[in-house]
Amino acid sequence: MTASQPPQHTSAPEPVVTTAGPPPVPTARPVKQTERPHPLTPFVRGWLVFVAIAIGWGRELVTSASDDQFDAGGLTWILPILGIVVVLAAVTGFVAWYFTRFVIDDEELRIETGWIFKKSTKIPFERLQSVDIIQPLAARIFGLAELRLDAGNSTTKLRYLSRGKASRLRDYLLTRAHGQRASIRELDQQAAASIFTDLGMTDQPLVQVSPQRLILSFLLSSEWLIPAAITIIIVVVTTAFGVVPLALGGLIPLIIGMLTLIWRRVIGMFNFTLAESPRGMRITRGLTNLTSQSVPINRIQGVKTSQPLLWKLLDWYRVDVDILGYGHGDGEDNESNATSVLLPVATLDEVELAIGRVLPGFDLDDIELHPSPKRVRWVRWFDFWTLRYGWDDRTLITEQGWFTHVRDVVPHAKTQSVRIEQGPLQRLLRLADVHVHTPRGPVNAVAHQLDEETARELALSQLDRARAARAAERQRRAVETVRTDDHQGEAELLAAFRTGRDQLLGAGGESEVFAIDHERVLRLYRSRHEAPRRTAVQLHALYQGWAGTDIGLELPMILDMGERSGRFFTVDRRLSGRNFSGWLQHADMAQRRPALISFLDATERLRLLPSPVPGFARLIGEGAPQQFSTLVELLSSMLRGPLENSRTQLERDVPGVAEVWNRLHGELAQRSVVPAMVHGDVCPPNAYISRGPDGPVVTGIADFSPHTVHADPLMDVAGALIFLELEPYADAAADAAWLEAIAVERHGRDVVRWIDMYRRFYGFYFSNAYAFDPQLYAWCLRQLAR
Amino acid sequence: MEELFAPPAYEWKRLSPKYRSMRQLTSLVVPLVLLTIPAVIVGVASGRWWISGLIWAAAIVIVIVRLSYVPRSWRSWGYVEREDDLYITHGVMFRSLIAVPYGRMQLVEVESGPLERAFDLASVTLKTASPETGARIPGLSPEEATRLRDRLTELGEAHASGL
Repeated sequence: MTASQPPQHTSAPEPVVTTAGPPPVPTARPVKQTERPHPLTPFVRGWLVFVAIAIGWGRELVTSASDDQFDAGGLTWILPILGIVVVLAAVTGFVAWYFTRFVIDDEELRIETGWIFKKSTKIPFERLQSVDIIQPLAARIFGLAELRLDAGNSTTKLRYLSRGKASRLRDYLLTRAHGQRASIRELDQQAAASIFTDLGMTDQPLVQVSPQRLILSFLLSSEWLIPAAITIIIVVVTTAFGVVPLALGGLIPLIIGMLTLIWRRVIGMFNFTLAESPRGMRITRGLTNLTSQSVPINRIQGVKTSQPLLWKLLDWYRVDVDILGYGHGDGEDNESNATSVLLPVATLDEVELAIGRVLPGFDLDDIELHPSPKRVRWVRWFDFWTLRYGWDDRTLITEQGWFTHVRDVVPHAKTQSVRIEQGPLQRLLRLADVHVHTPRGPVNAVAHQLDEETARELALSQLDRARAARAAERQRRAVETVRTDDHQGEAELLAAFRTGRDQLLGAGGESEVFAIDHERVLRLYRSRHEAPRRTAVQLHALYQGWAGTDIGLELPMILDMGERSGRFFTVDRRLSGRNFSGWLQHADMAQRRPALISFLDATERLRLLPSPVPGFARLIGEGAPQQFSTLVELLSSMLRGPLENSRTQLERDVPGVAEVWNRLHGELAQRSVVPAMVHGDVCPPNAYISRGPDGPVVTGIADFSPHTVHADPLMDVAGALIFLELEPYADAAADAAWLEAIAVERHGRDVVRWIDMYRRFYGFYFSNAYAFDPQLYAWCLRQLAR
Repeated sequence: MEELFAPPAYEWKRLSPKYRSMRQLTSLVVPLVLLTIPAVIVGVASGRWWISGLIWAAAIVIVIVRLSYVPRSWRSWGYVEREDDLYITHGVMFRSLIAVPYGRMQLVEVESGPLERAFDLASVTLKTASPETGARIPGLSPEEATRLRDRLTELGEAHASGL
């Protein structure tokens, strides 16, 4: 190696610390409780060795039987040796077990092994890339499981633990790996995974492959049918000529190959379940050895969907993924290693569901696929009609084959390099292939046999698309990094106020709020917030101006502010009741609708609050209060900042965006109102609900912010309806439409037009969310398309 | 035809002429040596030296074909450093053009075997996370190889992006 770049991983570049030499003496730290794996471990390991030997010897016997000489004499000398080996294995197993100790607690993950050469491995939680549970048959019988920890390039195994403990530890470690604080004690109450599927309580199965379907799909797969057909032909032909023994030499490897295939495809994939948990996707599979493996979405480099000829009858597909760092062989390991099979067999709906999860936000259906030119039939006479390729701004798709139809999908951001190839025959016909390279794995995207011009165009433009996609990815990651930076100095500050992350009440773009006690909350401004002190001072003044006005709602109040550990904070009055957004998710319709009416009432009362300045004005932010002579001027000034960031993105995503923009301005100019107080962001997360005499009602509105202005009071009414659509509960859209009908009843038919105008306004206003919140951005696009 | 593999608005950089000389030497020596061994064995063992003569004749034909091929093969190589990626082209019968974005390079290797050193040559290999990339430029002068390595490493760092 002459020159190198630092290894490129998505997670923190901190190395796994492995120190050889004596580990810290456990007694030196009386607090720390180290544990040994389950005491049955040596027996299980010894048993596994025994089984391995038995299988190896059994194979030997089969091969020698093919020579028509069964040597029973072998038994007499092999048995004592076998006994000694098993005893030795048991002793080594015992020693290994005795000297293995581990600590998994709130502070660290450390595993100590070795008798003579001691080794202590400490893995930082953030460095963990996946935590898998493997239950080999023998361990499974005893209710044990192996915990496999993947960190960077090294895999650490912890075997064996009781099944319940293993799944609890996995949940805990995955929580920590996601950078969240959790205490290991909290998890003790959780139920263990079951012996058959190993799904935790919180896992939602997305796709389950039934044994019938698995077996039928296997019997119809080309990989099985071809060797099966050859075997039958050989048997029939040799029987007809009466020379069966001659064929044994060829038949036995063939049969072993077929058995291996059954082992891999049926036994290994038995009960295959793709599930979704709060910690990402998870695959569990296996009849004898049960494996549970997480699917690291951010390490997926490409997706391959394939369909053997006979599966067409049933419309079944198989899905494989390229996962960075999983590149061993064809990636389909029978035993217990990580698999790159996402779905061994699935219907089209299930395939779309799964691909939607692993490539979130990609729209593959809209990509137009182009066929290869007609003259290709001279070179690819066997499958020229199946060759297709297509792309959009995020992905490239190639298709080929009819015996097994394969479709490869590669996100541009994952493209490694591009190659154009042309053989002599292709040169004659002016054709060329374009290869798009991805990291090692099953995906192999090749656009076969394109016209020379097209090939060159595709390859060169692919480089540009990949570059653009990488830049977008970098930007997205930068935002994420900022988010993690947010936590700097946080722990100290939270400790000073005797609160913690578990007391988090809510989080927004500018700040996070933690409960201190029943009366007060700690508002911690994010470090990327440009001027938190200015915002807090302006808000404080605004709130004081409201002190004498009672509008029947609890409003925020700033009790104290300051700076500590480099972070700016305020201590605010705690509003009573529950967060409205959280409450909505669990309420049924009968409770929800009256509460939503009270929410609408609350937003209509906000206009009664006095403003420090007359006329249209921005009340919070640089130079505030900043006055404007008309509504259009004020709102244009609000849109300027966000649009600077999102203009190019919108030009790409919204057809005729200039028209939408002009229309919005035209309508705003027609709107004439008397200015009043506008919260600017009245969404359920900023509202609080309490139980009133006639059921739950909204009693508080919090989180006034730089969105707060003195402008058209209808803005908040419109906001209440249109932001409701963003709520994550199932009937949110229906509720929003219903609430809009109520608002129309109250304010007259004319109001629909103005609500739609504010939809477009907020669509532009929040459009810079494309960089950090794809869901909010998608919402913006919907508003602009109306 | 040439347009398919030409870099947009750039001139290809070619390999050192010494690489052509080296390939000519290997094209001359390797078939002769490889075929002389069976020719001598056949001659000594059977005494029918006319068979050995035929083998030598075949060796000479192979040498002539390969020698005539070397200049074309040498000419077919080319590389160019663009703003964001490196292009490499080669091949006479089977032609290929590969483009590696600097942001994707993980490793740049400079190698020089004994024969290459004798001809004062070195080769540069670019590695990405994909094993299929296979971007190798043989037959560079050591100065050019070192320059290219440093330049590519520098560009790689400037463009680096995670996977």
